[in-house]
Amino acid sequence: MSTVVSGVIPYRPAQARGDDTAWLGMVIFLGSWAMMFAALFFAYGVLRLRQPSWPPPGTPPLPVLLPAVNTGVLALNAAALQGALVAARRGQRGRVTAALLLAVLLGAAFIGGQLFLWSGLFREGLAFEDGSLAAVVYGLTGFHALHVVVGLLGLLTLLPPVLAGTLNAARHNRLRLWVMYWHFVGVVWLSMFLLIFLL
Amino acid sequence: MTAQEAALSRQAIEALQPIHHPPTSFFRRYIWSLDHKVIAKQYLWAGLLFLLVGGTLAMMIRWQWAFPGQPVPILGPTVLRASGGVIGPALYMQIFTMHGLIMIFFAITPILIGAFGNFTIPLLIGARDMAFPWLNALSFWVFALSQLLVIGAFFGDLGAAGAGWTTYPPLATNIGTPGSGQTLMVAAVFVTGVASIMGGINYVTTVIRLRAPGMTYMRMPLTVWGQFLTAILNVLFVPVLGSAALLLLMDRLLGTQFFIAGAAAVKGGGDPILFQHLFWIFGHPEVYILILPAWGIVADLLAFFSRKPANWYKGTVLAMSAVTVLSAVVYGHHMFQTGMNPLLGQGFTTLTLIISIPAEVLFLNWLRTIYKGSVRLTVPMLFALGMVFVFGFGGLTGLYLGAAAPDIYLHDTMFVVGHFHFTMAAASFLASFAAIYFWYPKMFGRLMNTRLGKAHFWISVVGITLVFGGQLLVGYAGQNRRLWNPFEYDLFKPLQPLNRWTSYAGFALFFGQLLFIWNFFASFRGEKAPANPWQLGTLEWSVASPPPMHNYDAIPIVHRGPHELSDPALMAKLGRDWVGQAEEVPPDAPGATQAAARGAT
Repeated sequence: MSTVVSGVIPYRPAQARGDDTAWLGMVIFLGSWAMMFAALFFAYGVLRLRQPSWPPPGTPPLPVLLPAVNTGVLALNAAALQGALVAARRGQRGRVTAALLLAVLLGAAFIGGQLFLWSGLFREGLAFEDGSLAAVVYGLTGFHALHVVVGLLGLLTLLPPVLAGTLNAARHNRLRLWVMYWHFVGVVWLSMFLLIFLL
Repeated sequence: MTAQEAALSRQAIEALQPIHHPPTSFFRRYIWSLDHKVIAKQYLWAGLLFLLVGGTLAMMIRWQWAFPGQPVPILGPTVLRASGGVIGPALYMQIFTMHGLIMIFFAITPILIGAFGNFTIPLLIGARDMAFPWLNALSFWVFALSQLLVIGAFFGDLGAAGAGWTTYPPLATNIGTPGSGQTLMVAAVFVTGVASIMGGINYVTTVIRLRAPGMTYMRMPLTVWGQFLTAILNVLFVPVLGSAALLLLMDRLLGTQFFIAGAAAVKGGGDPILFQHLFWIFGHPEVYILILPAWGIVADLLAFFSRKPANWYKGTVLAMSAVTVLSAVVYGHHMFQTGMNPLLGQGFTTLTLIISIPAEVLFLNWLRTIYKGSVRLTVPMLFALGMVFVFGFGGLTGLYLGAAAPDIYLHDTMFVVGHFHFTMAAASFLASFAAIYFWYPKMFGRLMNTRLGKAHFWISVVGITLVFGGQLLVGYAGQNRRLWNPFEYDLFKPLQPLNRWTSYAGFALFFGQLLFIWNFFASFRGEKAPANPWQLGTLEWSVASPPPMHNYDAIPIVHRGPHELSDPALMAKLGRDWVGQAEEVPPDAPGATQAAARGAT
């Protein structure tokens, strides 16, 4: 038996400790989900490298402008969420509410933009069955859009506690974690824009 | 750690885990319970039920290989009435597909990881519950949903899933296997993956955040190490399976062409081999996901019942961690036959064979733990020893398959089937049974019948060795796997007697499990278990059997490792060969040691 013992747990307030635990859980979850998206990007890479030319013959070229605008929308959304977090730390309830509403609006605009993008491609004759390009565009961006929808629902659940004052300067961990989630979703979209639409 | 620091540490960690009153309503106690011990039991029931289903399917496969085309007894006139009591080729494919998927995702995973991960992690690290109890309950019910999808798949419009457990496209696409059964099974795998990830997040966070004061990483029982590393692999690699299942679902439901190539895809179709990459990037870590908890449990049990500290504990931990890391970079050895670049194949061969080094460290540590120990052949110890034996077979046969050259001959033969059954089925199941016999007193507060347990052990270990040994033999002789009637081919006709004898061993193995079922249920009325029936020092044995909902009235302060058994100084002082991990041992008083030593002897 050794007499030198490590493992002393430094004192922290219980709530801060609980927040750290939740934060760690979120980090592990996002790491796990990053593997999911990494696998999807790997699939895209393999499919694209298998093709002699890209886009494959018979499929329309992908638009760049609309996804670029959508990237901008998500960047503004990230800024709004960061603003909400800063305001929450300072206890400015009105600003948190405004920033959250703005973020919800921008997120919804992104979904609208994606619907516009898909319907445009569909009208140009790119059906689900049209080979690997269609599979990647509809499948990967569609799966990503589902995550945006989940994020929007998450932000909406934050509004009542903000208005009621239970989500305040002292307790705003839920907001912090949802902002982390949104940043993750944003980074995934940026990668999709760069790798699928721009490259 | 001084006493004052320990007290402060305890205060800090107690504040994080306040004691809640146990719920009183039926719904909150048994259905939506947040108690990790109840969720463990839910997983155990769900897993054992599907183990029975998977085992029954296995018996149908064995019947087909022993008496191809003849009506199946018992099941023929009942569940197989539609096909006249016999197993046709399509039904046969569905049977072996469902057997594999059910056993891996819906039987071993819930028992070894769901039930024993949940039960042991908080108790053994001195926590009151998981880090996220609500997520834990959700994880079980998501898993239950996936089991419902499996049951639904049996009633699919063209029968159950039939593309093999690996679900390779193009066979697994609508072109190869149309019908809702296959779709439901792919969905079930996706949903059960979500449940596994939820569990994994919970296990990793719990081990990192909720260890009791003094419970350093190097003092955790090896059971917890096994579960911890498994959870890490689950979190990292189940999502990759999720992505494969997701893309396959899109192909099946939306008509996309991720995995469809050739004549079916005119506008630049997808790639069926892509699925194999995604599947095995997950699939190889998966075999370690299923064996790491077993390694941990067995390493602990061997030390406990040899009444010795585990040999080179740190080496075991390092070896298990090394295997965890290596498991991520060897998946290509499942794909030697896919037209892989030979240079890449050589690389995967080398990496695969490197795994045998940490595996040897583990194995030698187990053997040296038993060596010169005071071995107590209790039922859990017998199962642990049986696991060591069958895992030896599984590991050694793996060397042939991990190297590209012999694999080209053995690929897709029954040798592969025998190999992975020795590791995943035999070793994981014997370890599961070891865990059930070992923790049953703590889980249910009753003792199991030892005599029935020993009989169950001998039938199981002999049966397993004969059944999977028979598979290795016919495989080495060249018999291909997944053949509906191998004896249609002249070259396999001489193997029919061996197949038939293997099937007899299989039937004996199956019906021998009745002893376990009887023992499990009858013991609910068995003798009441004391708090510490095995005389051990790990934390769970310091509380009542079964433990109260909050596990520990006061969070224990841990002073030593998990296997401090037969320490001469402590034996002299305490008069017994075990000492609790959190036990305060009185300081030496002059002359007391010798007096105690006399008393002890």
